[in-house]
Amino acid sequence: MVKVDDYEVPEGLYYHEEYGWARIEDGKARIGITDYAQRQLREIVFVELPSAGDTLKQNEPFGTVESVKAVSDLVAPLSGTIEEVSEEVQNKPETLNEDPYDKGWLLIISPSNLDEELKALMDFEKAVEWHKKLMKEG
Amino acid sequence: MAQEAHEGRLKVPRKIVIIGAHAAGVDAASAARKTDRKAEISLMTKQKRPGYSPCGIPYVLGGQIPSFDDLVVFPPSYFRTMKLDLRLETTATSINTEAKTVEIEDKKGKKETLEYDSLILATGAYPFVPPIKGREKQGVYVVRTIEDGQRIDEALKTAESAAVIGAGVIGLETAVAFVERGVKTTVAELLPYVLPAMLDKDMADMVQGMLEKKGLRIIVGHGADEFLGKDKVTGVSVAGETIPADLVVVATGVRTNVELAKNAGIALGETRAIKVNMRMETSVKDVYAAGDCAESVHMVTQRPALPQLGTTAVKQAKVAGINAAGGYAVFPGVLGSAVTKLFDIEIGVVGLNEFFAGRAGIETVAGTISSKTKADYYPGALPIRIKIVVEKESERVIGGQIIGGEAVTQRVNALSFAIQKQMTVRELAKADTAYAPPLNETWEPMILAAEIAIRRL
Repeated sequence: MVKVDDYEVPEGLYYHEEYGWARIEDGKARIGITDYAQRQLREIVFVELPSAGDTLKQNEPFGTVESVKAVSDLVAPLSGTIEEVSEEVQNKPETLNEDPYDKGWLLIISPSNLDEELKALMDFEKAVEWHKKLMKEG
Repeated sequence: MAQEAHEGRLKVPRKIVIIGAHAAGVDAASAARKTDRKAEISLMTKQKRPGYSPCGIPYVLGGQIPSFDDLVVFPPSYFRTMKLDLRLETTATSINTEAKTVEIEDKKGKKETLEYDSLILATGAYPFVPPIKGREKQGVYVVRTIEDGQRIDEALKTAESAAVIGAGVIGLETAVAFVERGVKTTVAELLPYVLPAMLDKDMADMVQGMLEKKGLRIIVGHGADEFLGKDKVTGVSVAGETIPADLVVVATGVRTNVELAKNAGIALGETRAIKVNMRMETSVKDVYAAGDCAESVHMVTQRPALPQLGTTAVKQAKVAGINAAGGYAVFPGVLGSAVTKLFDIEIGVVGLNEFFAGRAGIETVAGTISSKTKADYYPGALPIRIKIVVEKESERVIGGQIIGGEAVTQRVNALSFAIQKQMTVRELAKADTAYAPPLNETWEPMILAAEIAIRRL
C-alpha cells in the first residue's frame, strides 16, 4: 500500500474512476469505495445498496452514499450478479470512513464479463498516478 | 412526488442555477443534489475561491488559525464529487425570468446564457463604507473576503497602530486580533455603546470595560470624521482628536447585493433584502433566494428581519435547495442567535433585547444575574452574566444576552429553544437543569435570571 498525500491506495485492487474499487477473489469480485472518496464525503450517515440477486452494470450507479454535507452515487466498477450485500455498512455507515478497503466493503458479485471489463479499470500503478492527479486538482 | 412528475413531463434533467458559491450557494447546491441526483446544477462566484468561511478571517489575523487556506470548507474536490458545475470569477449580469435564463460573464469577458428550471439567488452582501472623507486612501480596508484578510495581514506586519471604525461583531473581532498581534488599536463607534445590534447598554458597557482592560481603546458616540494622511492613511479624526493609525478597518455593516434581482423585477422587502416566503421562493416563480441577500421572519415580532448570519444562510439555503430541486421544505424564521469571542470573553445573544423590543412596541421586564460557570468553590470557575428579556403580558421569554468566561453558546441555544417554543419565564424558572461541581452551579444561572424577571412582572 502507498499513501498519496495521505490517501491510502492499496495494491492488488482494481480502481474505477468513479472512486470504486474491486478485489478479485476466486472468480468473484468484492466491491467498495476508495479512501479518497470517503474522505471527500466526510462523516457518512447513510448507505443505500441493492439486494442479493440484483445485477450491476459497469459504469452505472447501483446505490448512494450520503454524508452530512454530501451525497454521491455508487458506480459499478464491474458488471455482474450480486451474491452478498454488506450488512455492516448499512447498520454502521461510519465503517466506510473507518476502513474503506476492508470492513467497509459493499458488495460481493459474480462478474459476468470480468476479463473484458478489467481492461477499463486502473491497476495499482495507474491508480497511484490518478491519485496524484486528483491531488493536483485540489 | 413532485420530482417524478417533473421527470415524467420533461424527461430531461432538471437545470438548477445558483448565483453565489459561498455559505448559502454551496449549501443550496448540496441540498439540491441530495434531493435530485440527476439535476444539472451550476453555481458561480465572482471570487477566486468558493466555499470558504469569511467568519474565520479575524481568527487568522489574530493567529489562532494558521492560514487563510484553512478557511476553505469546500475544496474543488467536493464540487467534483458532488457533480456540481462550479464557475469561478464569473459574474451573473442579468436574469430573464420569462425565458428562464441567466446571462453570465467570466473574467476573460466570455459571455454565456444559462437556462434554468430553478434559480437560486445567493448573491450575499457587501461591506458598506460610509462617505467619510479620505476613505479612498491606501491602508483603509474592509473585512469580507480572504483577499481583504490577506491585505490586512500584510499591513499588520509593519503597523504600529490601527483604527477600527464600528464596534459591531466584525469590528470588535478584528480589533481584538490587532491587539493580539501587538498593534495599538482604537475602535470608534458612532452609537453610544459597543455591539449595538446585539446587546442592551448595561450589558454592552460591561463588555466595553472588559475589552479596555485588555488594552483595546474604545470611543463610543463618535464615528470617524476623516481619514488623514497624504496618499496613505496615517490617522483618523474622531471628535476632534487625531488617532494615529497605520491601517484602518471600516466595519460599519453590510448591504445586500440585490441589484441583479431588482433589475429582474424580483420584489424586495422592507429590509431592502429579497422578499421570500417560507419555502424561500421570491415573488417570481421558480426563483429562490437564500443567505445575506434574503429576508427572514423574526419569530418573536413576526416582522421581516435581516440577521445576515452564517447560520441563517445555511438554513435558508438548505430549504431553497430542496425546494428548487422539487422537494418540500420550509424555513420558519430567525431569532438572531449569535455568539462571539473577544479575547477570553464569550458574548451571546438571542431574540430581542430591551432596546429592539421597545422599538417593536413590546413592553418588557428583564432579569439579570451574575453567577459562576462552575461551583463557586471549584478552582477555575469563571464569571457569567445573564440577562433574560420577558414580554410583560404573555410572560413569554423573548430574548437573552449572556457574557461569560465559558459555556455561553449552549446557554444561548437553550434560550433559543425556549423562545422558539414560546416558553414563559415561569416555565423557564422550573426547568430541570444539570449540575456537577466542575461543570455548573447547583442553581443554573438562567433559572436565577428567570426568577429575578418573575419578581419584576
